[in-house]
Amino acid sequence: MTGRVGSGLLALPYGVWLLAAFAAPLGAVALLSVQQTGGMFDPILLVPSTEQYVELVGDRFYMRVFLNTLLLGVGVATACAVLGYPLALWLTRLPPRWKPLGFAIVLVPLLTNVVVRSLGIILLLAPRGIVASLAVELGLPRPDLLFGWFAVGLALTQVFLPFMVLALYDVLEGQEKRLDEAATSLGAGPAMRFFRVVLPLSLPGLRAGLVITFLLASESYVSAALVGGRKVLVSGMIVLKEGIEVMNYPLASALAMLMLFAGVLATFLIGRAIALLTPWIPGRPPLPRLRLPPALRRALVAVAEALAPIVSRLLLAIAILLLVFPLLLVAVASVNDSPQATVAQFVGFTLKWYALILENPRYLEDAWTSLQLALCAVAIALAISLPAAFALVRGGFAGREALGALYVLPLALPGIAIGLGMLRLLQWFNMVPPFLGILAVHVVLIAPFMLMLLRASVAQLDRSLEEAAGGLGATPARVFRRVILPQLGPGIGVACVIGFLNSFGEVTVTAFLTTARMQTLPVRIYAEATFSLENTVNAISTIFILVTIALLLLVNRLMPLDRVWRR
Amino acid sequence: MTARTTRRTMLGAALAAPAIWGKDAVAQIRRGDELTVGVWGGVQERIVRQYCGTPLEQQHGVKINYVLGGTTERRARAYAERGRPSFDVLYLNISESRQAVRDGVTQAPTANVPNFANLYPLARQGGYGVAFNPVTIVYDRRAVASPMTSWKDFWRDDLKGKVIWPTYPGAQGTSALLMSAKVWGGSERNIDPAFQNIARLKPFAAIQGSQDQLYGMFDSGVGAASVEFGSFTRRYAETRNPNIVVADPTEGQVVAMNVACITTGTRNQALAEAWVNLHLSPECQQAYAEQIYYSPTITNLTLPAELSAKLVMGQAAVEKLVDFDWGVVAQNEPRWSSRFTREIAG
Repeated sequence: MTGRVGSGLLALPYGVWLLAAFAAPLGAVALLSVQQTGGMFDPILLVPSTEQYVELVGDRFYMRVFLNTLLLGVGVATACAVLGYPLALWLTRLPPRWKPLGFAIVLVPLLTNVVVRSLGIILLLAPRGIVASLAVELGLPRPDLLFGWFAVGLALTQVFLPFMVLALYDVLEGQEKRLDEAATSLGAGPAMRFFRVVLPLSLPGLRAGLVITFLLASESYVSAALVGGRKVLVSGMIVLKEGIEVMNYPLASALAMLMLFAGVLATFLIGRAIALLTPWIPGRPPLPRLRLPPALRRALVAVAEALAPIVSRLLLAIAILLLVFPLLLVAVASVNDSPQATVAQFVGFTLKWYALILENPRYLEDAWTSLQLALCAVAIALAISLPAAFALVRGGFAGREALGALYVLPLALPGIAIGLGMLRLLQWFNMVPPFLGILAVHVVLIAPFMLMLLRASVAQLDRSLEEAAGGLGATPARVFRRVILPQLGPGIGVACVIGFLNSFGEVTVTAFLTTARMQTLPVRIYAEATFSLENTVNAISTIFILVTIALLLLVNRLMPLDRVWRR
Repeated sequence: MTARTTRRTMLGAALAAPAIWGKDAVAQIRRGDELTVGVWGGVQERIVRQYCGTPLEQQHGVKINYVLGGTTERRARAYAERGRPSFDVLYLNISESRQAVRDGVTQAPTANVPNFANLYPLARQGGYGVAFNPVTIVYDRRAVASPMTSWKDFWRDDLKGKVIWPTYPGAQGTSALLMSAKVWGGSERNIDPAFQNIARLKPFAAIQGSQDQLYGMFDSGVGAASVEFGSFTRRYAETRNPNIVVADPTEGQVVAMNVACITTGTRNQALAEAWVNLHLSPECQQAYAEQIYYSPTITNLTLPAELSAKLVMGQAAVEKLVDFDWGVVAQNEPRWSSRFTREIAG
């Protein structure tokens, strides 16, 4: 194997790419954030001013929004973890031929337009909606759930749950089944097996899931605007409003930078906490354990074992319903004969929305552009993030944790702020061929996701297998091909699916970068939605979901989504 | 690709200078020219392609590029590219378009566009007004005690807690704010009465950010009344929810307008003007009226009586629209926006 310094070098290509494609917009945002005045055409001064930061930090309103947003992120990440475990465990236990379908269910929210997804939440929580009617049936007072933090949290949990499930899936799937059997034979019930065996061993995956869901939830604003009824304010909305609508770039940039700092700090803290809880990975002595009196412990265990089957099934049912609900809505709406997509009632059956898409070459052209872009972006992102994942897990260099946090920077800077930075750089950006320019930015946007997921998979590798192969005389290349790659297969597959869907659906940043010669499908849909959303959107979503199921079936043939030799 | 860009850039630089002195610097349309238009998607894209894009492409052998998107991104980009625009024509709303002319981002309208002569005076500022789309009160007749006939009716007791207020900025939110000022003794120069009285309406049933969102709220019975474009709401009421009423308040409906703006520094002046001229043609205006109830901005169009009744037609009706000093509105937008976020939303 490569030496310690050598493995650090594996992180280099990723770093170089970030420098080339991300340093510029980040620099622009950082520079704008230290400007004194907010005029659109004021010259950029190089002398830094703390004016904007002082204004933000000294303003109780902004600070309240900022802290509320961080709390929302914590809440959503927690909810995703609680719902994600039962779902990911269910997914690992599915028979192989049903696996693609299970994945499709998990991915439904990512394949559905945000407006339509939000409509689902509104229908669910509306005063005369499903949940309220259920509560009244049960004799409870009619709850007021819509247009508040609960609705926003639920909407965000729905869309970010897939990230958590996929982050957990690979580490859970790769777990040694014999450990579970050993625990059972020693008398542990399901609850104890989960808390003492499954959970600790899956912490690297949980780390990836928590970081991704926290960052995404604390940056998002579209869902919050749609289901929060604009009564819920989050940082991303303020960045959008101040930066893009009112064009007060410096204040928006300063807020974006604060969000970036908070995101990096959270990533770092989550990483430290998980590292403390997994002392066996670097080979440190375990933490001292809190010991309860035996009688109390026995009672607790008995209660947990009694509740475990019910609670886990309930959580699984809630998670699946939450994921699948938009699918029903989309499929029904795609054949609804109503001019607007946001209709709650069924007017009549029609296939005209499908006809509109298939007749109109522009949808297909843009879909083709998006497809090429996403495939190229995934290929490049995989090529730079897989080596970086090895470096971050196995490299012996100092500051690994810091580098890890640095490498997810693009995830911590809100997309809308990247767009804002790119706006300032537009004249230079316009000189780059459009496809390459957007590709470079997309790689930056998806590589952190893939790095997070791959890092968890690499941490999971059984190194004794590599040592055995090396001892038997296999060259490093052969070890990589025959030992490492098969173990990483599902992890790579999951990372690529997430990367692909993120690039294919990206609109926040791309909306600022598309030109007459280069337009992606999501930007077209977004442009239509800003005017009035037609049901073509739902027809497209339905087609996406069907194509995804087909692709997953195909992927499962070529590169099984589980480890075949374990079956 | 690179060579092409360089050539275009140099050509642009060479042409930009004379464009300052006279509008006729690029007086003719050449085959192979490319015009870039920033416009909304959906029906709007389909109409302009049919009535503006295709005729120009067939007649002159030019190519029209469409950049689809919302006004917000379009405007932010046009400002970022001031003087070196990637758009030749872009569409903005009434206050944005006038501010863009003052900021040197887009050009003031001229009679070089022949159909300019047919425009109502209101549509001759900040570019070429292509559609009136007034904003008014809309409500669910089942949820109010009696019909709403005045902007002051939002403060009636039977609407307490049932108002869906529109977010600010945005055409709906701007209209609601300005009319509130007006009916409570203020104006665009004295906005305090508006904020004070809107705050009295709290708690709102919700705050809406777009017509789609509002219609979803009406569908699920979230609130009783809001401020919205009459055009789309009429379509919504006709196709989906017959309980929704588009009111005609005694104080009037607020003017809102889509404006075609030619960018300062465009390399395709003549072609851009030809595009706008086609958008102002009776055929195109009629298509807008029939398909999405946009009211024409030109005086030389007659429509069937049944359709006219649903639109703003004729000198008298246009003059009845409530107009404001949009320069003052645009200047105050950052302040009002921040005030709205603090005092009304959140």
